[in-house]
Parts: sequence; structure tokens; C-alpha cells
Amino acid sequence: MKNKLMLFWAIVAIIITCIVIICTKPTKLGLDLVGGSRLVLEAQTSDTVAQITPDMMSSLQFAIENRVNKLGVSETVVQRAGDKRLVVEIPDVSDLNQAKAYIGETAELDFRKPVMKDGEAEWEATGLTGKDLAKANLSTNSQNGQWVVDLEFNGTGTKKFADLTKQLVGQPMAIFFNGELQSAPVIREAITGGRAQISGGDNGFVYDEAKKMVDLLNAGALPVPAKIIEENTVGPTLGADSIAKSKIAGAIGLGFVMIFMALYYRAPGLIADVALILYGIMLFALFKAIPITLTLAGIAGFILSIGMAVDANILIFERTKEELKAGRTLFTAINSGFDRAFTSIFDSNMTTIITCIILFCCGTSVVKGFALTLAIGVIVSMFSAITITKNFMHLVFGAGKLTHPALFGLKASDINDSYQAVETKREKAKFGILD
Amino acid sequence: MKLDIVKNRFIFLALSAILLLPGIAAMIYSTITYPTHTPLKVGIDYTGGTTLQYGVKEEISNNKLADVRSALEKGGIDNPYLQIIHVNSQENDLKSILSIRTKFITEGSSEQDNITNIVNSEFSDPQLVQVASVGPTLGMELFKNSMIALSLALLGIIAYLTFRFQFDYALAAILGLVHDALFVCGVFSILGLLYDVQIDALFVTALLTVIGFSVHDTIVVFDRVRENLKYYSKKMTFGEIMNASINQTLTRSINTSVTTLITLLALYFLGGVTTRDFVLAMILGIAIGTYSSIFFCSTLVDIWEDKKMS
Repeated sequence: MKNKLMLFWAIVAIIITCIVIICTKPTKLGLDLVGGSRLVLEAQTSDTVAQITPDMMSSLQFAIENRVNKLGVSETVVQRAGDKRLVVEIPDVSDLNQAKAYIGETAELDFRKPVMKDGEAEWEATGLTGKDLAKANLSTNSQNGQWVVDLEFNGTGTKKFADLTKQLVGQPMAIFFNGELQSAPVIREAITGGRAQISGGDNGFVYDEAKKMVDLLNAGALPVPAKIIEENTVGPTLGADSIAKSKIAGAIGLGFVMIFMALYYRAPGLIADVALILYGIMLFALFKAIPITLTLAGIAGFILSIGMAVDANILIFERTKEELKAGRTLFTAINSGFDRAFTSIFDSNMTTIITCIILFCCGTSVVKGFALTLAIGVIVSMFSAITITKNFMHLVFGAGKLTHPALFGLKASDINDSYQAVETKREKAKFGILD
Repeated sequence: MKLDIVKNRFIFLALSAILLLPGIAAMIYSTITYPTHTPLKVGIDYTGGTTLQYGVKEEISNNKLADVRSALEKGGIDNPYLQIIHVNSQENDLKSILSIRTKFITEGSSEQDNITNIVNSEFSDPQLVQVASVGPTLGMELFKNSMIALSLALLGIIAYLTFRFQFDYALAAILGLVHDALFVCGVFSILGLLYDVQIDALFVTALLTVIGFSVHDTIVVFDRVRENLKYYSKKMTFGEIMNASINQTLTRSINTSVTTLITLLALYFLGGVTTRDFVLAMILGIAIGTYSSIFFCSTLVDIWEDKKMS
């Protein structure tokens, strides 16, 4: 009995810890619940880039992060997914279309020199590109007031630019942005100061155009082009609606299950109900502590696991009832009920966990969320349904004879009216049968 | 209540056939007639495409839907695929969601604005509540991944069951889950034909959960058979032991299904609209899973054992 009491206080301590975690830690809600956008970008191979390397992905991620941060939205996430994909999560963005265009935009600035090929003038790459920039600034031309983009080169860039301009004195040098010719001023003398200006041709830049170019240049060029291959955007209204509805569905589902258990299994049913509430508390605390981002599919997994959590208790109680019918004392009936139901519970939960592991490995992020919550739910439910319920049953019923069969939903005439109880010697010792 | 499964085993096998045949017929018909040649109507997750969903503050009639469709076609949208989802939200006064599915809209294309403008002119103050877009190559990849996941799950379960039970029990459990998966797919194939219900990545998830659950139920029955064989194999025939085991676990099988179905039904009727089909697939699967573990898998094992005896 002393051990049982110690276990009871251990359970109380765990629950208190869980409640503290629930009260202090924030809940992480997925974008489908709070509203927002989830984009998957894939790096594209091209003529010049035959294979995507991890290095390229790192710099792509860095560049995309810079750009996403420029959107001025908090809690954005940029994550690697697989060999050549990035997942970008942006909560609550006002103009998504614009944001999308901005994120995926390449920012390839390069300087080219004129060459004669087959009698025709062509622009040839010089190796001086946007990578050699220290920063870009937006300013206006002092003569005509047009918007211009000021470029400032870094150390190697300054040297490359000086060499290039020295070589091109008297000739034009072209500035290409994303493959489009911006301007092609004639170089009068070598420029060694490490500064240049893009004027935007005869008509000059429109403000938006120049501003975008500056932002893109400062954020860093994408080392390879990236395309959006998947998008999922949920408006905040739909998300709020989903949360409200899931709460109601969860509460009503839980309520009905509890009523069912209490009506069908009586006193043990009530104990299982308490264990179920504790299960909910522990699971929610775990979600917050890990932390797991709750999505709509995750909540569905959570609610489904409530149904599965009582399964273990149903198995045990059915078994305990049988043992009582066979005329056992309460203590041995409870013990053998738990013990004999255990293999069923363990084997059946293992298959659910196997499917969850496979779902987690192969699934998309939505599926992953569901699998993770369901798997954690199943594991926690084994603790609550077996350890907690058993402990409470022993503490409540003690070791005496069953004096009120109605507590278990049994009639007095049911006792000793069933399959004969049979057990091996080992089991007798285990259940505490002393005969 | 005492069920004599063993005596009536051919009746139950016939009942299983009756339950499965309409769905199988629908799947064969769909495979032949759909342009995608799939047994189920597949959504953008697997074909690639873009779905735009607009929340509107009115009930949309079928006539209205036809108007929107022709307006979209006039606006240059090829083969728009329209659907109405009923919401009736208390939080905000959205009555329904209009879902428009088109081919994959690439970034920087004006097609989305185009569609939004058309919807704006048809309804008062619609809100764009959800955008889902899957590139065509990604769709194929997701499909491949789902199939891999399904096969791996099957292999994992066979391996585990063979390890814990005999192989013929494992085989019966596997046939049971194929039975259940076929039933759910069959119903969704019929729903696809009648109500344009499409399957997505969540459907495959539901299917996998159902598979796990179905085996879960079957194991409880088999576990009891295994235990009873240990104690009673000298006194009773296999058929009697099977019958007794099913009856001993019957209350549990039904009660577990009931509690799980209670939570799922609450989710179906009161939960979010976006997961409704997902929950429906699980409701169907769990109901049929309970049926198959009681009436189908045990019957199979019993028939095999009879064959072995004779």
C-alpha cells in the first residue's frame, strides 16, 4: 500500500508540473489556424548550374531569409527541406502576391563588356557581379532629379571594377539586372573609388523599380533561381473559425465519451474519466514543452487519441469484470485484469505507432503534424490508462471482497457465473493469489 | 448475447462481398472514365493545380454557381472546377465557401487577380480565405511518397504481426485491413462520382490511421484466441475457442468503436470544414474495421484451421 501511495503522489507531482507548463508556456499554433502563408521553393538547375550543392542551398536560404525579413512581418520561418527545397512560412501578410513575386525574384546583377563575334557586337560576361557589392543605395541624380541606384563595391569588387574600367576606356560597359540591360555608359576613365551608379537608361527609373532593385541587391542575389512549387495560404478568418470549432468539437466529444464511460462502467468508469482529464492535461503540456506546432490535422489527431485513450481502459475493465464474475477478490481481479489486457493494449498500440512513424517519415508537413500528435497521444495514453487508472483503482477499492457489485455494473447473481478462471503458477504469484 | 460466427461464417463472407462490391465497381468505372485513369477522384495534391477559396456571406445556389462558372470561362480561365462548402460560422458571418480549382498558377501570373476580380463582381464582399497551390511535378512526387508510405506501413505491420503471432494470423489481419481500405476507397470513389469528392494527402493519412486501427481491433481478438488456446485447447475445438474469444471481446470491440466514433462524429459535425472529408474517411474506416475484426478476419482463420485439420 505504501508503494501505491508513493506512486499516487508522484502522479500528483507530474500533473502539477504539467499545469505549470500549460500556464506559463505559449501554445504554438500552425499557420492554418492563425492565418498565413506557407511556400515551398525549389532551387532550379540551369545551363550554368547543373547541380544544386549544399553550399548553394545555404546561400539561397540566407538570401531568402534576408528578403523575407524585409517584408516587416514577425515570426517568419525559412527552413531547408530535402536537397533542394526551402519552406518559407509567413504569418499574416497583407499582400501575398507581391510578397511571392519578391521572394522568388532573382537579383542577378552583372557587368558585361562588348565583344565582336561573327561580325556582330555582343555583350560578354566579365565575372564582376552582384556578389562583389558591399551595398546598394537609392538616390537621385543631382542633374535631372531622376531616381538612380548607387552601387558600392567591396574590396575585391573595387579591384575588379577598376581593372575592368581601365580595360574599357573609350568603350561602353553594360549593366544587366536579371538578364535585362539597364544602361550601358561609355567609360571615360578608370574608376578606382569602388563606386558606380545605375541610371536606368534615358527615361530613368520609376521609384518602385529602383527601390526594389536596391532591396534585392542588399538582400543578396539568389545563387540559383528558385521557383514556388507549393503554396498554402489561409486567411485569418478561416483560421479563427477552425480554432473555435475544434474547441467545441473536442469538448463535446470528450464530454460524451466521459458520460458513456461513467454510465457503462460505473465506478471504474469515473476513475477512467479522471484519468482521461489528466491525460488531456499531460498531452497538452507535452505539446507546449516540446514544443509542437498545433495544426488543424494535429488537433484532429489529438481528438482521435482521446477515443483511443479510453480503449485501453475499456479492455482492462471488461477483463476485470470477467475476473470478478469468476469470483476473484477485488485486488486480484484488478491486477489480472490489467495484466491480461496488457498484451492486447501493447500490441495494438504498437501497430498505430508503426503507422505513425511511417507517416512521419514519408508525409508532408500536414501529415507529419497529425502523425506526431497521434503517436505522442498513444504513448501518453498507455501511461494514463495503465499506470494512473490502476493506481487509482487500488487506492479506491482496496484489497477486500467486492461488496457492492453494482459499482462495477454487475449484478450479485453474475458472480461465480462465468468461464472458470484459470491461471498458471507464475500468474498466480503475479496476481497475488494465495492458495 | 452470444454470436455464433463460426456456424454462419459464409453468411458473413457474403455480407463483406455485398459491402465491398459497389465500391469496387465504382473504382473500376472511375479508372476507365476519368481522364486521370485513377480509381478515385484526385485533388491538386496529386495532379498539381491551384485552389482558391472565397468566403461569402450568402448561400450559393446552383444557378449562381453556373453563372460564376460561365463568367470565369469568359474571363479566360480554362476548365474552372467549382465547389461549394457550407460553413455557417458563428465567429464571422460567413455562410459558404466557394472553392475554385484551376491549373497551377505560377508566381507573377495575373490569373489569380483575374479570378478574384470576377468573384468580386459576382458576390458582395467576398474574402479570399484560402489558397492552395501544388506544382505539377510535386504532385507526382507526393503521389509516389503516399504509395511508398502505404506499402511501408503494410510491410511494417506484417513484420510486427508475424513476429508476435503466427504468419497465418498476420495474413488474416492483413486481408482484414485490405478489406477495410477497399471499403473506404470504394465509398470515396462513389462519393467522387456523385458529389465530386476529391482525395488529397489527408485522405491517405486517414487511410493509414484506419489501417492501424483495423489491425488494432483484430489483434485484440487474436490475442484472446492465443490466450484461450493456451488454457482450453484440449477441452474445446478451435471453432468453439474462436467463438468464445469473439464473444469475450465483443463488448470491448463495440465500446471502443463507440467512444472513438463519438469523438469523430463530434469533429465531423462541429469541427472545421477543411478536415471534414478526412474525418469522414476515418469514421467509415473505424466502423468497417470493427466489423471486419469480428466477422471477417476471425472467419478466415477459422476456415484455414479447418482446412489444416482435415
